[in-house]
Amino acid sequence: MTTPLELLALSVALSGVAALAGLLLARNETLAIWSAGLGGLLAGIAGVAAGLLALGTEPSVFNVAGPYPFAHFVLRLDPLAGLMVAVISFVSAVSSVFSLAYVREYAGRGVGAMGFFLNLFVGSMMLVVVADNGFWFLVFFEMMSLASYFVVIFDQDEEAVSAGFVYFLVAHAGSVAIMAAFYLMANVAGSFDFAAFRAAHPSPLIASIVFLLGLGGFGAKAGMIPLHVWLPRAHPAAPSHASALMSGVMIKIGVFGIVKVGIDLLGGGVLWWGVLVLALGAVSSVLGVIYALAEHDIKKLLAYHSVENIGIILLGVGTGMIGLATEQPLVAVLGLMAGLYHLVNHAVFKGLLFLGAGSVIFRMHTKDMEEMGGLARTMPWTSLCFLIGALAISAIPPLNGFVSEWFTYQALFAAALDGTFLAKLATPIAATMLALTGALAVMCFVKAYGVIFSGAPRSEHARHAREVPAPMVIGMVILAIACVGLGLAAPVIAPVIGGIAAATLHAPVAVLADGALVLPGAGARTVLSTPLLALMLVALAALPIVLMAVFTGARRGGRRTAAPWACGYLPDGHMAVSAGSFAQPIRMFFRPLYAVRKDVAVVSTAISHRFAALVAQTRRSEPMFDRTLVTPVIEAVTGIGRRTQVLQNGDFRIYCLYIVAALVALLLVTLR
Amino acid sequence: MPSLSQFLLAVLQAVLFLAAAPLLSGFMRVIRAKMHTRHGPGVLQDYRDIIKLMKRQDLRPPASGFVFRLVPVILPATLMVIAMGIPVVGRTAPVTAFSDLITVIYLFALVRFFFSLSGLDSGSSFAGIGASRELTLGVLVEPVMLLSLMVAALLAGSTDLGAIGTAVGTLQMSSLAATVMAGVAFAFAVYVELGKLPYDMAEAEQELQEGPLTEYSGPSLAMIKVSLALKQLLVVAWFIAVFLPFGKATSMAPLALAGSFLLFVLEMVAIFVVVGIVENSVARTRFRLTPRHSWLGVGIASLAFVFYLAGL
Repeated sequence: MTTPLELLALSVALSGVAALAGLLLARNETLAIWSAGLGGLLAGIAGVAAGLLALGTEPSVFNVAGPYPFAHFVLRLDPLAGLMVAVISFVSAVSSVFSLAYVREYAGRGVGAMGFFLNLFVGSMMLVVVADNGFWFLVFFEMMSLASYFVVIFDQDEEAVSAGFVYFLVAHAGSVAIMAAFYLMANVAGSFDFAAFRAAHPSPLIASIVFLLGLGGFGAKAGMIPLHVWLPRAHPAAPSHASALMSGVMIKIGVFGIVKVGIDLLGGGVLWWGVLVLALGAVSSVLGVIYALAEHDIKKLLAYHSVENIGIILLGVGTGMIGLATEQPLVAVLGLMAGLYHLVNHAVFKGLLFLGAGSVIFRMHTKDMEEMGGLARTMPWTSLCFLIGALAISAIPPLNGFVSEWFTYQALFAAALDGTFLAKLATPIAATMLALTGALAVMCFVKAYGVIFSGAPRSEHARHAREVPAPMVIGMVILAIACVGLGLAAPVIAPVIGGIAAATLHAPVAVLADGALVLPGAGARTVLSTPLLALMLVALAALPIVLMAVFTGARRGGRRTAAPWACGYLPDGHMAVSAGSFAQPIRMFFRPLYAVRKDVAVVSTAISHRFAALVAQTRRSEPMFDRTLVTPVIEAVTGIGRRTQVLQNGDFRIYCLYIVAALVALLLVTLR
Repeated sequence: MPSLSQFLLAVLQAVLFLAAAPLLSGFMRVIRAKMHTRHGPGVLQDYRDIIKLMKRQDLRPPASGFVFRLVPVILPATLMVIAMGIPVVGRTAPVTAFSDLITVIYLFALVRFFFSLSGLDSGSSFAGIGASRELTLGVLVEPVMLLSLMVAALLAGSTDLGAIGTAVGTLQMSSLAATVMAGVAFAFAVYVELGKLPYDMAEAEQELQEGPLTEYSGPSLAMIKVSLALKQLLVVAWFIAVFLPFGKATSMAPLALAGSFLLFVLEMVAIFVVVGIVENSVARTRFRLTPRHSWLGVGIASLAFVFYLAGL
């Protein structure tokens, strides 16, 4: 029987081996792709096992005294970390499978380095979530940011490099904030160990400052509005299986960090922390989806949806913190559980959608949705998987996104029912924002699916597309099955995640399932059953099918297809609805909110300008550096050389004299 | 989990709703004819239309995909599942696992998703514009729906439709003003969901050739037409279940059940007569001005929320 920690070590070691293999085998690209991919897959499987084993057990701790007293190397695998480890490993395993075929697209551009950075990225994410010491946490956090930075700039074009720079700056500004938070805590606790942080009791002012610094730092990583500027630029720039990891998993580390600082390390706190998180969540979710609607770059659209879903997760986490602050354990458990459930779900369906987008781009060689169209007929598996992902992210019952949003609503409702006035005011507004988000998400994904996969092809590539290779299809199908499974198996999964939430909050376990039903806590007067819902949807679908079949005999044969109605004109591809025109009403009705984006985008353009300035400065300073340091050295060396050349004048008699002189000198030295 | 008898009752309720849907659309046609002072078709005309369509060819555009073919099956099935979760004769829904207000709202979102996607999937530009409008209306209406029901749920202490209906029906809502305001806001949202003038944006016959329906024909069109009528029945039944749940049967006695059912039918007829009168006496709103109307809905719902907070 292996312990979860041993499995985790195995997984991290495998990631490391896969990373090195990718680097060492870079000469042979096929071998590099397979070693990095298979290594990532094995590491993922070990990691999933480690995470799942850790879910129901007591936290297991691994502790070695570090090189310095402040850097004890402590790993702690508690249920929350176990959940994160399982999610990270699952998505990385699937994206490794996907990468086996997908990375061929990048052949000749250093696929070995890509394998190296991706495996390093996954390994460092695993270590971040289990690190139980502030110093090592920051080390692994930096490793994660840097590895993903190199993945973002992989394309090396101007857009990718400038996106990477914005990402680099925001990530490091975030790190600095987190560092400051940890220093403040260490000051109070006397150690950088998280165990000491947990035991420390900082004054309310210090605690609030630490929380705000943590929220800022981790919020930047999570892509929470207004710290999201890097996300819609960096995620689309990375290769798609890396975007799946970044959007599906890495930004969750930000949420994990907020939970870690706010709930685990500081142990709850005051009501306004929760309300602040709730408000940021509501703003992120609505604005994220509204900006997504205006996009016609498929990966940017998905990246903005990550902002939206981080908002939804934060709604759950915020409600959990409100419950903790107002001492309502049920609300706290429900809220955190809803947030964590949505975290898992988002990792799965966003991973799926990015892999789907990757498959489409693999064949289309463009990210512009307007150039696609009609792919459902030529890429049936991709289209079906993408549709399942679109339904899941739009919270359509009975898939997984719906279940977690249902719990989010129930948590908000429970918090509104009996709480303080602030909670009563904030939570129903948040619920309304969530409803608005849901409706907009439906619109956005009808648009995404419709413009990419429906109607007539809009370009030559789209006309000649074919299904992607098997490893890519397998990767998508696994995630699509997970989307359905996480929804239908809600009565099994909800209590497990509820248990994790309760363990994190040190609260009593809430009753979340009863047979095939899920319910928000014991004594709740409302229930939901996704298995029954799915069963009835399938069963009742029989009725229209039978009805239509009954009349088949009375129907005449003949034509099966007819051109669409175009007022008597010949239908033309240009007549079909485009991504821009479909979302036009929303752009019109919500114009002021788009103006906000311009204002926020100023930050991003400012960073870009700084970047340009920095490059110019480097160009200017490079020769100066040469002049002051390199050139003098070179000149000195050549000068000495020239002077010593006098000795070497080409006359062999002189050389003989040198040899005799040397021999005499040596003789003298040895005789003495 | 529901018992077998509850389950059968639920299926019966769903099938009855489906069967009654063409009756409703026929009834609306009769009202329209009356308003126009002309002899219209009989109440049963839509049944004849449906049967006629069922015998016709099923044509589809060459660019359409599998979604286009699936939608005529998905829409009736989903709407029948919704029908199982709405309390009609009793205080609680036949299947309480479907009667949470959030579940119902999101099941309607499922309908909306596929209905509008079928429009895009047909490859027709009219259908695509209809789909865009259908979803835009959803965006404008769903927050109103949720906030008004949320206020009612907070007053009743549960998000289950049956529980809210019971609290309203037994006059246990602590705040009358908030309940009434929530009811008004919800009624507005329901009216928009009916897809009737002045808000028939998606299927605006004169402008959009019936929107997402444009390319459907034969049995598929029949199924979708029945589904749209069924949706109208269901949103009104939903309103009655939450805000007008009076005279509900509290026992399984046949007389009580019959009385409750009769009252339900009367309420339905009364509401649809009012709807018919409104529908036939107004012009279509300009699409770009609809947010002004929906802001009114948001305003009323917010007022209900404020009344709830103030405990009026």
